[in-house]
Amino acid sequence: MKLLVSWLRDFVDVTASPEELGETLSLRGFELASMDRSAIGDRPSAIGHRPSAIGDHRSTIADPRSTIADPRSTIDDRQSPIDDAVLDFEITANRPDALSVIGLAREAATAYSLPMRKTPRKPLPAADPDNVTVTLEAPDLCPRYAAAVAEVTIGPSPAWLATRLQAAGVRPINNVVDVTNYVLLELGQPLHAFDVDKLAGKELRIRRAKKGERIKTLDGTDRALDPEMLVIADSDKAQAIAGVMGGSFSEVSSSTKTIVLESACFTPKSVRLTSKRLGLKTEASARFERGTDISAPVAGLERAVALLEEIGAGRARGGVVDRYPLPTGPRKLLLRQARIQRTLGQVVADTDVHRFLTGLGFEVGPAKAGPDHSARPDDMAWEVTVPTWRVDVLREVDLIEEVGRHYGYDRLPTTFPPLTAPTPPPAAGIERERLVRRILLAAGCSEALTFSFVDAALAAHFADADAIVPIANPLSAQFSVLRPSLLAGLLTALAHNKNRERSDACLFELGATVTRAGESRQVAVAWTGNAGAHWSGGRRPVDFFDLKGLVERIADALQVELAFDTSVVPAYLVRGRAAAIHAGGRPAGCVGMLSPASVASAGIGANENVYVAELDLQALAEMQSSTPLKAKALPRFPSIARDISIVVDDTLPAATVRGTIRSVAPNTLVSVNEFDRYQGKGVPERRVSLSLRLTFRSPERTLTDAEVQKAMDAIIAALIKEHQAVQR
Amino acid sequence: MTTDSDITRLRAEFQQELARLSSESDLQSLRDKYLGRKSGAVTALMKSVASAPAELKPVLGKLANELKQEIEQQLIERKAALEATKAPVGAVDITLSGRGPSLGHRHPLTIVREQIEAIFTRMGYQVLRGPEIEDDYHNFEALNMPAEHPARDMQDTLYLEGEVPGLGRPATLLRTHTSPMQIRYMESHEPPVRIIVPGKVYRRDDLDLTHTPMFQQVEGLVVGEHVTMADLKGTLISFLHELFENRTKVLFRPSFFPYTEPSAEVFIGCVFCDATGCPVCKRTGWLEILGSGMVHPAVLEAVGYDAERYTGFAFGVGIERVAMLKYGVEDIRLFYENDLRFLEQFPL
Repeated sequence: MKLLVSWLRDFVDVTASPEELGETLSLRGFELASMDRSAIGDRPSAIGHRPSAIGDHRSTIADPRSTIADPRSTIDDRQSPIDDAVLDFEITANRPDALSVIGLAREAATAYSLPMRKTPRKPLPAADPDNVTVTLEAPDLCPRYAAAVAEVTIGPSPAWLATRLQAAGVRPINNVVDVTNYVLLELGQPLHAFDVDKLAGKELRIRRAKKGERIKTLDGTDRALDPEMLVIADSDKAQAIAGVMGGSFSEVSSSTKTIVLESACFTPKSVRLTSKRLGLKTEASARFERGTDISAPVAGLERAVALLEEIGAGRARGGVVDRYPLPTGPRKLLLRQARIQRTLGQVVADTDVHRFLTGLGFEVGPAKAGPDHSARPDDMAWEVTVPTWRVDVLREVDLIEEVGRHYGYDRLPTTFPPLTAPTPPPAAGIERERLVRRILLAAGCSEALTFSFVDAALAAHFADADAIVPIANPLSAQFSVLRPSLLAGLLTALAHNKNRERSDACLFELGATVTRAGESRQVAVAWTGNAGAHWSGGRRPVDFFDLKGLVERIADALQVELAFDTSVVPAYLVRGRAAAIHAGGRPAGCVGMLSPASVASAGIGANENVYVAELDLQALAEMQSSTPLKAKALPRFPSIARDISIVVDDTLPAATVRGTIRSVAPNTLVSVNEFDRYQGKGVPERRVSLSLRLTFRSPERTLTDAEVQKAMDAIIAALIKEHQAVQR
Repeated sequence: MTTDSDITRLRAEFQQELARLSSESDLQSLRDKYLGRKSGAVTALMKSVASAPAELKPVLGKLANELKQEIEQQLIERKAALEATKAPVGAVDITLSGRGPSLGHRHPLTIVREQIEAIFTRMGYQVLRGPEIEDDYHNFEALNMPAEHPARDMQDTLYLEGEVPGLGRPATLLRTHTSPMQIRYMESHEPPVRIIVPGKVYRRDDLDLTHTPMFQQVEGLVVGEHVTMADLKGTLISFLHELFENRTKVLFRPSFFPYTEPSAEVFIGCVFCDATGCPVCKRTGWLEILGSGMVHPAVLEAVGYDAERYTGFAFGVGIERVAMLKYGVEDIRLFYENDLRFLEQFPL
């Protein structure tokens, strides 16, 4: 809302500079977006002193562009010593009343404790005009419709009026249209002027649009209407889209002689719907869709007629027709002094409460005993009548906000809410994710954050088409579906880094994925290039075991037993270098090498190796051990370790070898660990040399060499029998 | 003839040369130069004392002797010092980098989020997380935004195609704020309430310098029998003082949110120009940092709380915004590109 300060001074004698005024209103909830001194009008601020003859307006501003070209000519003008500027305020959605000069003037008057003045109106008798019929057919969408007829002489507006419109960002068109826009800006009441001679049957019918009905609007666009939209029609066709825009057919033109001025109240919902459906936003629709003053239509007409007469543009013929089938009285609310304190944390003096509310146009009844009927001062209450333009004030707390705004948030004390109950720990999932993050960071992986929506083609690599959830109104194809896997975004991030000379990269992400089954929390890692880079050596390409190691460390930290198997690995992993992960028999993720097709889909060369791991954190959480941790006693007797090296088929899983060993070993065998795996010189083709360390220990006594040797003999015999192992 | 000034000069010359030497061989030649049997300067001095007048002999002799002892002592100390710096056999080059897993980097948005979580945890808030796909009731309706409410336009929403199983009701949209979790919490808990809900939220915004269609928020909620706007002020001021600097100026200004009444926008003094006015703060000296307000009674009523008995406050802060201000990041998209050259600037 662009506010010309001198226009505001028509209503209230604010002497503050534009800067001060901007600051004052900002602190009351009207954010000052900008201030402009280059496009100002110069109408004397006190309307009562304004010369009545139009010719008396100074000729220096006859061409408004000259004013714009040299702002100093008006600022320095001795006859207009008061500082002027255009203040552009951002008006919040709840305050349509402040989308007007009068609305902001009320705020300024209250802030500076100054009286409000009214601008001149031409009182019009209530009477149907003799030559135009008005029929309100849809009072549900238009609770009030007023109109007046005027004889006009079309011409340009006087400079002062044109300049004010321009300062407010509205283009002057002709004196009649300019007056309607002037009233809209001044009072917030949108008006529309129809050329009576263009109205078939000389009538206005406020009705729903007919199916298939069309209208060419003032902007020259031909628009299709539907029966949920409200139109103003003559006996033939729609002549305006109610509350949004007029039609070009009955538009005021240079040959217009008689107009009918519309000043109505349309329901916000109807205007919002129509405006949205047509993709058409106007000054009028912006006000109607937030809510206009049900009391304003007649006042708006009277103000418009006064202006038409003042600038010599025309004269009313007859009275005002006012279709208002269900008059509604103003809202009355109870405001309790104790409630103000309870909400704001501060006692506001009765006199201040009274001053703020009456300044804003509320009627405040005498203070009386509150609902408790006690005479305690903190049980006092007022009956407050809400002005009809304050469509946002619906309950007591809305009044308290008015009191707080004008009391000043900066004057409220600073205190702390009492702590009346102990604080529970963070939700379990949050702690779990912090732990997983710490492990991966400590392992050298960096944390990535990627968008939850991805390209559909990329997502298709990680889930079946019917599991993927598309976004109904995506911004672009790049963000068209919800990610079924964190890998989609991580791969894109890897590609980004690879394209920037980072061939070694390990990224992880913790976040939500969504499929048709619902939302789940996941962690995923993607690693490409080399691991273990150090000047001393150890640099080698990342492999399956780097990723499996990360998964095992996470499982250790969360105290979950994981099982790895190759029975069902996802299609985006390479069979033979990948494993499915299970926790307690339930799928919990996967680990392995990404397929060349998936790698290529993210824009990485298909020959690049990318290893990934994914874990379903909810699946892990459900298998987390619930037994409280108890420390075990340290072993009292020494252990005996024996190493064996065997040659077996290279397809034999190490887990099977361990299983065979355990199946024949006594329970004094406490651990079996592989410490070498070798293929090459000295080992036959398709065979592998596997070295294992077996550790034996008894909790009750020191073991003897003989009994350990006996156990080893049995183990070796079993390995030979089961796996055709050859001992080296 | 030798005088005591010769002795003083000799001492000064030795001190200068001693200060300059850097090796053991230098040390040996210095010793030879001063103490050598044949041509040492001090040796020569001692000899010349012998030929001095008898009345001066005792004094000069004493001074020369002191100088000799002093030089000997200093050469010994210097030798020890040089030996201490010499690399012993088997020494390693300790300037090479150490081995071990390199540490990863925590995402800057995580650093900021965890800092905010820590501050509120110490103020007695429980940290919660809610679902990112939501239903219309929890995202809008229970928050005083019924269908066709104009405020819905303030948060242009991304909708799901079809329904997806959610918590209770089927999910139909991506949450536009984390407030729906506040509703879920109040639905299942009686006051007092003191929670924060960090998480990702979604708006139908195109990517540009300051907008991403997904961003992160932390929202807080306090409900109790005696919770006021003054408590809101105290809480947010101390939060901002810890997050930024203790001297950060804080301004509360009336605003509008459908789910709070009264509502306040919170500003901090511009961190770029020290609140003197610059392009970042549009020359106002202030930067918007939080949205807040007293919980609207309609919201309390929607979850079955007695709005006469209980009051509360709520607030929300954008994590990207805080991170941009704290770290001087000018393009929000950097947070989601995951460029390691950016991420590696932030510590574990």
